[in-house]
Amino acid sequence: MSELLLEVKDLKIHFFTDEGVVKAVEGIDLKIERGKTVCLVGESGCGKSVTSLSFLQIIHAPGKIVSGEMVYYRQTPDGTTWEIDLAKLNPKGRKIREIRGAEISMIFQEPMTSLSPLYTVGNQIIEAIRLHSKATKDEARKQAIEMLHRVGIPNPDRLIDEYPFTLSGGMRQRVMIAMALSCNPTMLIADEPTTALDVTTQAEILDLIQELQQQYGMAVLFITHDLGIVAEVADDVAVMYLGKIVERGSVDDIFNAPKHPYTQALLHSIPKVAMKREDLEPIQGMVPSPFRRPNGCSFHPRCSKAMDICSQIVPAVTAIDDDHTVQCLLYEDVASRAEVERAQS
Amino acid sequence: MSKQAMSQDKLQESVPLTMKDDSYLLEVNNLKMYFAITRGIMARLGGYTKAADDVNFFIRKGETLGLVGESGCGKTTVGRCIARAYEPTAGEILYRRADDTIVDLARLEGQILRQYRKDIRMIFQDPYSSLNPRMTVFEIVSEALKVNHMGTQSEMEDRVAYLLKRVGLRPEYMQRYPHAFSGGERQRVGVARALVTNPSLIICDEAVSALDVSIRAQILNLLEELQSDFDLTYLFISHDLSVIRHICDRVVVMYVGKIVEVASGLDLYMDPKHPYTEALMSAVPISNPRLRNKESRIRLSGEIADPSNPPSGCYFHPRCQYAKDICSQEAPPLRELPGNRFVACHFAEELDLRGATME
Repeated sequence: MSELLLEVKDLKIHFFTDEGVVKAVEGIDLKIERGKTVCLVGESGCGKSVTSLSFLQIIHAPGKIVSGEMVYYRQTPDGTTWEIDLAKLNPKGRKIREIRGAEISMIFQEPMTSLSPLYTVGNQIIEAIRLHSKATKDEARKQAIEMLHRVGIPNPDRLIDEYPFTLSGGMRQRVMIAMALSCNPTMLIADEPTTALDVTTQAEILDLIQELQQQYGMAVLFITHDLGIVAEVADDVAVMYLGKIVERGSVDDIFNAPKHPYTQALLHSIPKVAMKREDLEPIQGMVPSPFRRPNGCSFHPRCSKAMDICSQIVPAVTAIDDDHTVQCLLYEDVASRAEVERAQS
Repeated sequence: MSKQAMSQDKLQESVPLTMKDDSYLLEVNNLKMYFAITRGIMARLGGYTKAADDVNFFIRKGETLGLVGESGCGKTTVGRCIARAYEPTAGEILYRRADDTIVDLARLEGQILRQYRKDIRMIFQDPYSSLNPRMTVFEIVSEALKVNHMGTQSEMEDRVAYLLKRVGLRPEYMQRYPHAFSGGERQRVGVARALVTNPSLIICDEAVSALDVSIRAQILNLLEELQSDFDLTYLFISHDLSVIRHICDRVVVMYVGKIVEVASGLDLYMDPKHPYTEALMSAVPISNPRLRNKESRIRLSGEIADPSNPPSGCYFHPRCQYAKDICSQEAPPLRELPGNRFVACHFAEELDLRGATME
């Protein structure tokens, strides 16, 4: 049933700045299956946005994909699957331009700054459609109206000729979604799509994305720092801290059986609506500067369960079960010990 | 007669003001804030945006009052009126001074108003744009002391050092500029700046909305700690319902410039009486994947009303699933219900509304 769409292996993205090299992404592994929703969670500066930008090869200089693979399993109309390593593609080449915006498309956090103020809504959607298909202007316009209708915009045939500034935040985000989905992508990257919106609008947009996902069967990579949203939409969750995925698992595992101290701390630090007032347990300290990454496990200076060894050894990816992995020495020992025992017996 | 003397005169002439209850620190009565819409080069008046329209509420001494609503509902406007960054169009903002006398902040001007600026302080949303990058932390925090001639240089330094320590920053850093600090640390500077004049009321306008989850929890805990240590009263403005639930004793819900409901945190979240509150509660993401239940979410149709051209009757009626004929004709007043709560809905008693999902 589950069919792999994108597989990221040991991806590293570094930014070569004047002050030194910022290792924004330091070797992450990620699997995205067709039709599933994967959430990438983490605090600002953990590398979650850069990771998603790399799928489309739109990382700005001085950033560069240093190593790793991003295998995209592309399905051709005749049913065969091609493997394309997105990391190896030329950012300006034809191949990535075929994929970018058509098969993998993206919506951003601030709908006002990501829509051009100089063109009408229709212009911008039609541009995307005409770039990727052979539709004529009239056909593309019809498709654009149809798309706007699908994302729940009232009077799409009138609104298509409006400029973005006349729309509210929620409506703009709907336009962004219409544009992103106009070419029927197999994967949608949503980078904090509701952070700038009100709760009621946020709920509508989340519902809309999920509805469209069911209709079109696309995979969604959802990037957010809001654990409440993760609980609502995710199938799988990857928790990032300082360029590494510290824990990966199903949404149920992450919320009900979190393993990594960082995941546990994150869950304890969110105020909950239905809970009595009680003290939050914040994570001590703050995210270190990317230039001064701690030795060993990068979370150890803030970790409540840190051991002496944590500042010396970089933890490896340890499997808790089939689809739940964690990078923490607390579990590594247990697992390796168990393995040794298994070998002996 | 100079302006200053005149307002002093006015103050003495007026009958002593009273509040409805001795425990109130602030009482807002029929507050209106209208912004004129002008059109064309002649600045012809094209109507008013009623950002706050007949707002009534009170804040008890020592409590945290939450103010929630969607963007554009007027919650920031109300906060700014109380801080007197705006001059309200009409209404009273009664404030109880330390000596138990009551003044109407809405009518004060000039020098007289200035002394209350020490009592009512603000913390802003964005810790990046709310600190002047050309001033050191010491200059930022001590500015209010300087303009109010409160103390000598060394006294100010002591006070700033003490406050920086209280908010969890190292006093040695007071000569640094804001760029040297992270978002959470900057917000701490903002908190220290608000505290420096020993205020009684602090208006926190989305004070934690721009912060990361782990930092947000730190700042929320800090605010609670300072509240008990310094006897502070907070007006906490936010659109984040889980933050409001966590920190507030009572909550005011606004919709398009009007208050629709006031209740204690628990009552409001578990047993809302206004359909808009119910919709807000059902929109909050539930942080437990096992409780996903999309069918139960109330979907508001349409957009939030335009405050310069609001609908007739109850402003919420075009989006309300319980609306009846009367709702489009008559605006419901904010009235008191049993249990110390207020609601502006014709059918508050009859409706059986659902609260936030329990975990």
